[in-house]
Amino acid sequence: MIRFLTISLLLTLLLTSCGTYKYPTSSGIRSIAPKEVNTYYADTAQAYVYRTRLTAFQKKINGNLVVKSISPDTHRLALLSDFGQTLFDISVFSDTYVVHYAMADLNKKKVVKEVASLFRLLTSRRFATEALIFPTQQYFPVYVANGDYYTYEERNLVEIRHVKGSKERFSVRFSDVQDALPQQIDIKHKRYPLSLSLQLDSAQSEL
Amino acid sequence: MKNWVKLMLLAVFLLPLAGWAQMKAMSTQEVQAFQQALKQLATVKTLSADFVQYKHLSFMKKPVESSGKLFIVQPDRLSWSYTAPFNYKMVFKDNKIFINDEGKKRSMDLGNSKQFEKISKLVTNSMQGGRYDEKEFAVAYFKDGGNDVVRLTPKLSEAKKYIQEIVLRFSSTNHQVQEVKLVEPSKDYTRFVLKNTQINKQIHDSVFDY
Repeated sequence: MIRFLTISLLLTLLLTSCGTYKYPTSSGIRSIAPKEVNTYYADTAQAYVYRTRLTAFQKKINGNLVVKSISPDTHRLALLSDFGQTLFDISVFSDTYVVHYAMADLNKKKVVKEVASLFRLLTSRRFATEALIFPTQQYFPVYVANGDYYTYEERNLVEIRHVKGSKERFSVRFSDVQDALPQQIDIKHKRYPLSLSLQLDSAQSEL
Repeated sequence: MKNWVKLMLLAVFLLPLAGWAQMKAMSTQEVQAFQQALKQLATVKTLSADFVQYKHLSFMKKPVESSGKLFIVQPDRLSWSYTAPFNYKMVFKDNKIFINDEGKKRSMDLGNSKQFEKISKLVTNSMQGGRYDEKEFAVAYFKDGGNDVVRLTPKLSEAKKYIQEIVLRFSSTNHQVQEVKLVEPSKDYTRFVLKNTQINKQIHDSVFDY
């Protein structure tokens, strides 16, 4: 199963296209004073355990994603199988990462890089200097940081769209936000059938 | 994944060997006495136990915990189920793995049935006196307080990718395995604590429904 997953993840890395991404319904972009976005995982006193269901090319793996804030800009994440096996253990910084462990079958440079990119998007605090303009005012604010799109609803970050070239690569959807912490996170790859569903396990988390 | 599952199952069911904490190597006489004690145990035809699984990560203060139940009926039936904090059941029978994931059911053929046979054989041998294949593991015996401890270090490169060592701790009173510790190459480890172990008690067929 792991080998299949490896191959599947490698396939997802192929053929990225160039161009410019246009956020649906937006009519332009404007500069703003720097705004901090994605502060869910900034508290270094806390650690979070999310029950995880990973589906990749019709293969399913259940387990836990453990998220620990080392500093406001450094997070350590470990993806575990139900049997306790560590699949990935990676520290992500604002622009780089360190692999502490990757299971042998998954320890491929491109796979690890993609996983680190996803972990970074999920946890990293960013500073947006641009926001989208919409033709009417009925849209929720969308901020742009590092080329990614951060959507807010009622002061809570609810979605990040990660864009590469002209295409949306994957999206992270935060929901059921309680005490400034999302209880549910859904991550979807936009090009391949790859998704993660995360449910906060408060009892196991260090809150 | 498969290799991990195999190693984990192997470790959990290697009943006669194991340990940790301030350990002292057993003398030759102590090893012989330990092995002799295991050989005198009743032949294991069925086994049931509760387990608690603790996953320890170096950067976390407390382990990630789960618990469940284990049933074995020799020679070829095995049920491994988590009951908290989630429900997930795996049943090995009829050369297949049956999975019930929170009510969603699926089954898979055992890709390499010879591997499963190999595990079954190792488990059986272990239950009946602790004969380990020293081509696959370097075996070391220790005393830790009142407990006997066996450390298995994989010799084969394929296994070494996933497991640095398996440590088994035995009860000083009934010589049954109390704990199994699987140490990964990163030094993070998973500890399985077995409780309410029952040997050769009737296990109803419904345990292997899924």
